[in-house]
Amino acid sequence: MSNFFQLLINEQIKLYIRKSTWIMYILIAVLVLGLAFLSDYTVEQAAKYQDDNWQETLEQENADLQQQMEEDDMMQGFNNTQIEKNNFYLENDVQPRSYDAWQFVMGNEFLLSLVSLFTIIVAAGIIANEFKWGTIKLLLIRPITRTKILAAKYVSVLLFALFTLLFVLIFSWLSGALFFGVNGMDPYIVLNESDGFAHVSIIGEIIEGYGLQLVTLVMMATFAFMISAIFRQSSLAIGVAIFLMLSGNAIVSFFSEYSWAKYILFANTNMNQYINGSPMFEGMSLGFSLTVLAVYYVVFLSLAWLFFTKRDVAGH
Amino acid sequence: MSETAMELINVKKTLGNKAIIKGVSFEIHKGEVFGFIGPNGAGKTTTIRMMVGLMGLSGGDVRIQGASIKTDYKEAIREVGAIVENPEMYPFLTGKQNLKHYARMMPNVPHSRIEEVIKLVGLEQAINEKAGKYSLGMRQRLGIAQALLQKPSVLILDEPTNGLDPAGIKEIRQYIRKLAQEENVAVIISSHLLSEIEQMCDRIGLIKNGEVIAIQDVNAAADETETAEVQMEVTPLSTACEVLRNDYNLDADASNATLTIRTEREMIPDIVETFVRHEIKIYQISMTTSTLEDKFFDLIGENTIE
Repeated sequence: MSNFFQLLINEQIKLYIRKSTWIMYILIAVLVLGLAFLSDYTVEQAAKYQDDNWQETLEQENADLQQQMEEDDMMQGFNNTQIEKNNFYLENDVQPRSYDAWQFVMGNEFLLSLVSLFTIIVAAGIIANEFKWGTIKLLLIRPITRTKILAAKYVSVLLFALFTLLFVLIFSWLSGALFFGVNGMDPYIVLNESDGFAHVSIIGEIIEGYGLQLVTLVMMATFAFMISAIFRQSSLAIGVAIFLMLSGNAIVSFFSEYSWAKYILFANTNMNQYINGSPMFEGMSLGFSLTVLAVYYVVFLSLAWLFFTKRDVAGH
Repeated sequence: MSETAMELINVKKTLGNKAIIKGVSFEIHKGEVFGFIGPNGAGKTTTIRMMVGLMGLSGGDVRIQGASIKTDYKEAIREVGAIVENPEMYPFLTGKQNLKHYARMMPNVPHSRIEEVIKLVGLEQAINEKAGKYSLGMRQRLGIAQALLQKPSVLILDEPTNGLDPAGIKEIRQYIRKLAQEENVAVIISSHLLSEIEQMCDRIGLIKNGEVIAIQDVNAAADETETAEVQMEVTPLSTACEVLRNDYNLDADASNATLTIRTEREMIPDIVETFVRHEIKIYQISMTTSTLEDKFFDLIGENTIE
């Protein structure tokens, strides 16, 4: 096992020494800081409830919203939800929280699609680049099985995803703390859940929100890894994986007429459908989706393994 | 000869229906430098790729120190250091980082060994520069350095003189001879230029169309100059031809006022004497020694070993 660890070190060095990897992290950092700058409005909104008269402020706001609705029917939907939310605060005697680092982290959940994108790029390149550089020949003529080299590369991709995810979390939290401050270490927030408004832990929400997106991330990274192993070309792997990731939902709805649509990968990557209790197709359950995902996962990795270990490394 | 380090037994490679390598067999001994010569496309690189396990064998076996590349891959490959085609390195890593990278993949390569090979190939000056900035010659040396890290018993160098200047070639030549003699390494060198590696090889194998058509001892070839090609500028040509046919049973090739015959060196004074007796005027006699290259030209049946 010790030489597997050495292989991991090699892969991580080759990954993190390159400028292209650093650019990914710089992009994330710039984006997070930009988002923090743009959060002024949200901060102001939350700030007005921070004095002792927050109940009066909420009641006043409800009255304003009511009036606005009478004047303009268009606002009905949005304002009703807002009034409901305000009433939840009043009924449960919960003061709305000021905007802080935790909420900022929670709001940055969508950055995970960027992490997915970067992970796909890394996964697509980790095998294909060795062929492009020609270094694959020197890499494979070592007393290490190809299976082990492949495993080290795959684990390296997952490690990259993990590190990048942690970077998003930690950098967002730190920037949030810098811009908005930290309001307690176990904060709660009122959110619109599937069964009405509820007082929930932000940390729980963060884990759930980021965690659920990891399903798509891991599946698409594994897919790109497979394409990279089969075709030994990174641009193809990046292109196909990103295309599928972006058009996944469209693909599912396009084939939704057919009974086999529920077996499509993308019908099963969104675990929110089970939390909300509204599966995409009839007959789908959490167990069903997990099984389908596992089958895809095993197929992806098996194909990658088959092509990487069995195929000749011939000339260019 | 001494112990066998590497052995190819009827190695075959078929791609689709096409036989690329049609049963190649030879062995390389410890302390020997073996030249692997053939025109481009003859199957040199394919054979080398099979020797190091980059390509699977369609038939036959490769044994390194007795271990089969097919069934004991790890045991076999542990004994091999190689450069396959160009010495491609990670351009974004320094020379030393490249070496460390490969050292991590092999058992028992201490840090001192890395320093040792750097010194051996004379890359101390540039070792902390990015390999992407290296010249081809420097990459070639770095390639040899990485091949030597684990002290292999077989060293395989594919076209090691490619892109090197004459001084660099000379240096590598001396260095490879030293490795074979002092470290008892079996060295296999492939090239399409016989003249570049002839001087550093003990034996040379000639491959053409996927078959080894000759294996020749280099030193033996040098001795084999007894039958030489002799050119004589004489008049009259017809008399000379007749004399040669009658007295020596030799067929002469006459063109421009010059006779060309194949004969032993010792015969030349005797022929001259006979010519003088027949009042044939001799203006010039020259002898071409048959080199290994000529020999291979004949075998390959082409004008050039490309």
